[in-house]
Amino acid sequence: MNDHTKYSLTDKQFSRRILLQNAMWMSGAIATGIGSWVFPAKWSHAAGPIKVGIATDLTGPISFGGIPCSRVAKLAIDQINADGGILGRPLEMYLEDTASNEQIAVGVVRKLVQRNRVDVVLGGITSSMRNAIKDVIVGRGRTLYIYPQLYEGRECTPNLFCTGPTPAQQCDDLIPWLIANGGKRFALPSANYVWPHVLNEYARKSIEDNGGEVVLEEYYPLDQVEYGATVKRIMDEKIDVVFNTVIPPGLGPFIKQLYEAGFLKRGGRLSCVYYDENALNFNAAEEMEGLASCLDYFQNIDDPFSAKLQAAYQKIHAHKDKVLFTAGSGSTGMYRGVKLWEAAVKEAGAVDRDSVAAALDHAKIANGPGGPSNIVPGTYHCQMNMYIAVAKAGKYEIIDKADQVHPKECG
Amino acid sequence: MEGAFQIIFNVLCYTSIMILVVLGLGVIASMMGIFNFAHGEFILLGGYTLYLFHIWGLPLWFGIVAAPFVVAIVGVVLERTIIRRFYAAPIVAMLGTYAIGVIIRETVRGLIDGLYLRVPEPLVGMFVVGDISVSKWRVAAILMTILVVTISYLLLNRTSFGLRVRASLENPELARASGISTSRIYAATFGFGAALAGLAGAIITPLMMFNADMGLRFVIQGFLAVMLGGIGTFEGSAVGGALIGAMASGLPYMVNPILADVLVFVVAIVLVKLKPSGLLSKWRA
Repeated sequence: MNDHTKYSLTDKQFSRRILLQNAMWMSGAIATGIGSWVFPAKWSHAAGPIKVGIATDLTGPISFGGIPCSRVAKLAIDQINADGGILGRPLEMYLEDTASNEQIAVGVVRKLVQRNRVDVVLGGITSSMRNAIKDVIVGRGRTLYIYPQLYEGRECTPNLFCTGPTPAQQCDDLIPWLIANGGKRFALPSANYVWPHVLNEYARKSIEDNGGEVVLEEYYPLDQVEYGATVKRIMDEKIDVVFNTVIPPGLGPFIKQLYEAGFLKRGGRLSCVYYDENALNFNAAEEMEGLASCLDYFQNIDDPFSAKLQAAYQKIHAHKDKVLFTAGSGSTGMYRGVKLWEAAVKEAGAVDRDSVAAALDHAKIANGPGGPSNIVPGTYHCQMNMYIAVAKAGKYEIIDKADQVHPKECG
Repeated sequence: MEGAFQIIFNVLCYTSIMILVVLGLGVIASMMGIFNFAHGEFILLGGYTLYLFHIWGLPLWFGIVAAPFVVAIVGVVLERTIIRRFYAAPIVAMLGTYAIGVIIRETVRGLIDGLYLRVPEPLVGMFVVGDISVSKWRVAAILMTILVVTISYLLLNRTSFGLRVRASLENPELARASGISTSRIYAATFGFGAALAGLAGAIITPLMMFNADMGLRFVIQGFLAVMLGGIGTFEGSAVGGALIGAMASGLPYMVNPILADVLVFVVAIVLVKLKPSGLLSKWRA
């Protein structure tokens, strides 16, 4: 050991001054808040601005989704403000970083609801995040909550509206297509958490109803990166379709090992329902050739409004980084959520929770990413267009469009 | 026959990855008594170096060669400025290296926009012999592991540098009295451990998804491997890494993958309980 470091360390360990300095720095950081931003109202109104709280993962592993979500929210709010706000009042956006961490999230969301007194909260990407913050918002917070991400369904809490696709929307059109264009023998390799478990329940029923068969359904630890055993089983069992819910970081190695074993060469079909434009970077183009996905939006669908929205996003952000506006990151649900809420507030003529929730129950927008959308009364979920896309040479080709698919949730 | 070969090859490949990942961790833990919680992020930096070579359009092989040097420099700078202050307090050292790891990880996350990215293999394609086909880069990874283990072993056991490193570990006071600058030896050893992590990162990145949390996954199993092999020797870490790697990739062929994940820890903990100082320990305790 180095002796002089040992002594200097001991001196420092008992230094009260250093302890005090650190404590002051920490309390300063806590008081001002590190991951908070306010985008103030552009004009004033007698009733004050309408406050929109956005709580999403700007840092940590889920930031790939949270960053575009926050940007799309800002874009939608700026557009609404440019058109004169809602009920003559400007919107003020309160953005909080939930840091991909549920404990942090509960704290910052409480701040949004109790201190900033926002009129609505939009955000959360993972289901565990939604479950962590929903009571803080709709229960004790008595505030409206809109959750934007595609997810496993079954969220039927009053005053909580979900604007992303449900299992029915992602499977009803896709599964029959996979059976017709892949085969009947399915494997469901999955990450071991709530979304794959519940989605697979729906997918299995849909596969069996359409004359297919689930030969293999397996769950893996979330961080598993070696899939030799699974790939061997898929090859030995002569699986036709791999309906994947393994997520990154395991996803890349899994698809690669499957390719190396000759699954695609043998005519196997890959499918994964969260695959959007971000996922095109996950593997080499030949490793994911023919992969079929089903989402509410792809960048190359034929819809002028969506193209305009994408262009507006890219104009602001494309030169800065590679964070994309896609469906798999919850960004489309975020735009839809803000606009549906706008429609509801306009109809209600007020911002109090009960009036807005009552109007939101049947809210409609004529334009959104992927097309029009509306909340199906009594379901807390959206009806929307769904698209099947297939990866070809590193790009998506839109194969099929299903109009206004029902979410089939909550009754 | 073909199936059996594929199983053996897959297990061998993942075992090599685990050995590569554990070596640097083992060197630093054994030679310096520091549990380096930033090890995963050193692996990440190795991968990031290769990623930069990829996006700059430079030959990827140069990236593989450059990664250990880049990470070694980072390691030496960190050792000179920060880590050396922790030698007197191993617990503080753990927390300190953890903090360094978080800073590196979040910085890289910012640089790559938090995305999951692909870095292609320097050697693309498959070797095909009859019915058997194996990825060229996986074969290269296995061969490079054998090479790295051999060179590191010779360096630490057959050279005068290795002798001085071991002398500084065994008895720092006597080493200093004999004219060895233990402080410089510590810096060199830390740099060497970091270089091994950097090389591991560069080699495994094309087989994984490159992302900020890439290294995190290996650190817990890595520590288990070091404890299993025994702190104090280079060979111990390699054997520990091999055992953990073989179990983690071999068990899913026999049992449910979730159970296999738990079993790796159970078996390792039982082994550590039976041989508390590790399978190949020479630690002075």
